[in-house]
Amino acid sequence: MPELSIHPARNSSGAFTSARPFRTPLSRTALGAVALIAVLAGCAGPTGSTAPAGTEPVSGGILDVSISAEPGCLDGHGISATQQQFLGRLIYDNVVTLDKDGEIAPYLAESWEISEDGKTYTFRLREGVTFSDGSPWNAEVFGQNLEHMRDPATKSPLAAAYIAPYVDGTIVDEYTFEAHLAYPYTPFLYALAQSWLGMNSGKAISESPETLCQNPIGTGPFTVEDYRPGQSISYAKREDYDWAPAWLDGEGAAHLDGVEVTLVAEPVIRHQSLVSGQYDLTENLAPQNAAAVQADPNFVYENLPRTGSPYVLGFNLARAPFDDLAVRQAFAAAVDTQAVTESLGFGTYTPIDGFLSKESKYYDPTVEGVLTYDPERADALLDEAGWTGRDADGFRTKDGARLTVEVPTVESSTPSPLLVQLQGEARKVGFDLRIIQVPQAQLTELRYAGDYDALAGVWHTNTTDVLFIRYHSSEITGERIGQNSSSVDDPALDALLATARESDDGPEAAEAYAKAQHRLLEIVPGVPLYENPSQFAYSRTVQGVAVDTSHPVPVLTYAWKAE
Amino acid sequence: MAVLRRVVTRLLIGVGVLWGAASLTFLAIHLVPGDTALLILGGPDARPTDEAIAQVRADYLLDQPFVVQYGSYLGNLLQGDLGQSYRLRIPVSEAIGQQIGATAALSAAAVALALPLTFAVAILSAQRAPWIREIVSGIEVVLAATPTFIIGFALLILFSFTLHWFPIGGNQGPAALVLPALTLALAVFGTLSQVLRNELEDVLEQPFILTARSRGLRDLAVRVRHALRHAVIPVLTMSGFVVAALLGGSVVVETLFSRQGIGSLTLASVYNKDLPVIIGIVLLAAAVYVVVNLVIDLLYTLIDPKVVTA
Repeated sequence: MPELSIHPARNSSGAFTSARPFRTPLSRTALGAVALIAVLAGCAGPTGSTAPAGTEPVSGGILDVSISAEPGCLDGHGISATQQQFLGRLIYDNVVTLDKDGEIAPYLAESWEISEDGKTYTFRLREGVTFSDGSPWNAEVFGQNLEHMRDPATKSPLAAAYIAPYVDGTIVDEYTFEAHLAYPYTPFLYALAQSWLGMNSGKAISESPETLCQNPIGTGPFTVEDYRPGQSISYAKREDYDWAPAWLDGEGAAHLDGVEVTLVAEPVIRHQSLVSGQYDLTENLAPQNAAAVQADPNFVYENLPRTGSPYVLGFNLARAPFDDLAVRQAFAAAVDTQAVTESLGFGTYTPIDGFLSKESKYYDPTVEGVLTYDPERADALLDEAGWTGRDADGFRTKDGARLTVEVPTVESSTPSPLLVQLQGEARKVGFDLRIIQVPQAQLTELRYAGDYDALAGVWHTNTTDVLFIRYHSSEITGERIGQNSSSVDDPALDALLATARESDDGPEAAEAYAKAQHRLLEIVPGVPLYENPSQFAYSRTVQGVAVDTSHPVPVLTYAWKAE
Repeated sequence: MAVLRRVVTRLLIGVGVLWGAASLTFLAIHLVPGDTALLILGGPDARPTDEAIAQVRADYLLDQPFVVQYGSYLGNLLQGDLGQSYRLRIPVSEAIGQQIGATAALSAAAVALALPLTFAVAILSAQRAPWIREIVSGIEVVLAATPTFIIGFALLILFSFTLHWFPIGGNQGPAALVLPALTLALAVFGTLSQVLRNELEDVLEQPFILTARSRGLRDLAVRVRHALRHAVIPVLTMSGFVVAALLGGSVVVETLFSRQGIGSLTLASVYNKDLPVIIGIVLLAAAVYVVVNLVIDLLYTLIDPKVVTA
C-alpha cells in the first residue's frame, strides 16, 4: 500500500545524518513554513518523568493513539488499508503468527502438518478460545472465515487473493481442520499470519455479516466498543483473554483498560499532539519530525522497514521507451538514489538497490552494488540505444521523437516530491519525465489499462512471494487484475518464482529466490529507491510496546502506562 | 394565509432545487473518469478477485447504463432511501447521521461567536475616526482574504502549540470546540462586518438619524435602536454566504483539527468517489439553503413590513 512515511536506522547506511531544510514547492510552502514554526515552537515539550524500563507492569488506563488514516471498515477481510496492520492486532488473533525471528509459530492453531505434495494443510486448533460475542473458535469457524474472505459479498480487496489457491476444507473433528489447496503454495501460512486475515466470529459471519465492518467480532485482546467512522475507535480490553502468541512474552488479559484511536490526518498535528501529551503514541510520524522526536528524551522513535517490495519506480516493459533494456538500465543509472532518498526522508529513509526489502526472508545481499548511480554509463547506454538527438529543451530524441516518460500519480495539492526529484535526476541525462496528476479513480483505471510508462509505489507483505505478486507473468493485468504493473514477462523468472512458492521453506526456496533477485537485476523492471518504512513514536511513559514481524507496527497486547 | 401560501410555494420550489442538485451531482460524478468498482475494492494496490469485482458492479448497478443507474437512484430517493455508502458499507442516512451533530455544534458555536463580534465591531467602528476605521477594516480584509486553514494553523500555533491553552484537535469536550469554532467565526466575521459597517455608515448619514440625535439620544442608542434595524437587511441577505462558509469551512476545519463531522465525511467521500454519500451531503446542503432562505424571506417582512417577497 502506498503511503508517505518513513524509514529505519537499522540498516547499514541509513543512520540519521543531516536533516535537510524543508523543500516545499508552491502551495506546500505555506504549510511547510507553518510546520517549521510549529517544529520550533514545539521544542518546549512536556518534561514528564521517564519511567524506568523493566519495572512491574501497571494495570489500567486508556492509551491514546493517533493514526494517519482510517479504513472506513474494520473487518480485515473487507479492506486493504495499511492501518489495518496496526488496528487488526488489537481485536483479532490469527491462525498462526511470525515469531521474533520471522518463523511461523502457533497462535490459534497449536500445530499443523503439510502433506507431501504441499496441497493439504491439517491444522490442530487451540481449544478454549472464544470470540467476544461468546461463540467458540473451532474448525467450523476456521472454514467459515476462509469462505467469508472469498465470498464476493465481502468485497475483499486483499485477503481473498492471498488464499486464492484454497479449494475447500474438511472439518475432521471439532478442533482439526484440513485445508485443501489447488497447488502447493508455501506462502499460505504467511498470509494467515497477516492482520488482514484475522479470524472473525463464526456466529457473526453466519448471522450478520453485514455488520462486521462497523462492529467486527474477534478473539483478540481488545474489543471495539465504539466506532465513529472518520473520527475515532474506542477499544476495551477483554477480561478473559488468555491466548496471546508466545513471542509476546505475556499471558492473560491486556494491562491497559482500553485504547482510544483517533484519526489525525495532518502530520504536523500528529507530531504536535504527541509532544504536547495529548496522545501517547502515533502510528505514523512524518520524517520531517523524526529528528525533533529523536532528540527528545521523553519519546521513543521507531523507524522499521516493512518487508516486501521496497519503494520502486516501476517501468512499463510493455511499451516504449521502457521496452528497451538499455533505456531501463540508463534510467536506473541516471538516478542518484542516495541523494534522492536522503532529501525525501530527511535522513530517515534507507536507500536500497534491489527489488526486495532487506528485511524479507531470503533476501540475498549479493544483489547490492549492481544497480548503481553512474550518469556517464546512462549517457553511453542512451547513445547506443539510438537516442542521440537533442531538442531545443535539451531532451534526447530519436527519429524526431522526444525521450518522454509519463508517470501518473494521485492528484494532490503538491506534486509528489519523489517524482519531482526523479524528474530532475532524469533530466540530467536527457529524459523528459512528465508527472501526470489524476484522481485516484482514474489512476486505478490507467493502471489496469496499462496506460503509463512508469508507476511509483511499494507493496508490503510478510512473504517473499511478493516477487511473484509483482513480477510473475500471470500477475499481469489482463482478464484478471494483478500487481505486475511492470508487465514483466520473463519465462526464466516465472520458473524461479513458481519453484520458490511451491518449495517448502528451506535451501531450495532460498536458492530460487536468490536467483530470482539476480534475474530481476538483469531485467531492470524499475529503479529501487528506498525501504518502505513504518515510522511511529510514543511517550516513554508507555512500556511494553511489542513489534510484530509480519508488519513492523506496535502491538499493544501487553503495553502499559507508567504512572 | 398569504404567508402560508408563500411557505408552500417556496417549499415546492425547494423540492425542485433538491432534485436538480441531486441530478447534477449524479451526472458530474458519473462524468469523472475512473472505474468506481475498482476504487471501491481498494484502488491501485488492491488485488480484488474477479468475483469480487463482479459482485460490486452488480450490487451498485455499475454495469448498467447511466439512465438505469440514475432512474434507480431517483426511485429509491423518492422512497426516502439514500442508498448505501460504498466505503463505509452502511446506509447513507446513518453515515450522515453519525456526523451531523458534530458539524451542527461547530456551526452553532461559530455563529454564536461571529454574530456578536460582527455587530459589536461594526456598530462601534462605523463613522469613527479614519485611523480606527482603517485598522478595523484592514483586519477584516485580512481575515476575509485569508484561507481558513491559515487562520486555523495560526490559532493552533499560538493557542495550542505555544500556550497550550486548548487541545490540538479532536471532538472531546467543549475546550476542543473553541479553536475550530473561532477559525470559522473569524472567516465569516471579516466579510459580514465589512458589509454591516458600510451599511451603517450609509444609514447614519440619513436625516432621521439627525432627528434622533437632535432629540438628545445618546450615540450608542442611536446606532443600536435606529440605524441597526435599517442596516441589518443586507447582512441577512448574506446568510447564504454564511451557510456556505460554514459548510465549506467545515471541510477544512474538521480536517485540520481532526474533528468528526460532515466536512471530513465529505472529503473522504469525494476522495473515494463514494457517490451515494456525496449526493446525500449535497441534498442536505441544498435543503439547508432552501430552509435558510425561506426563513430569511420571512424575517425580511418582520423587520420591514414593506418588503414582500414572492
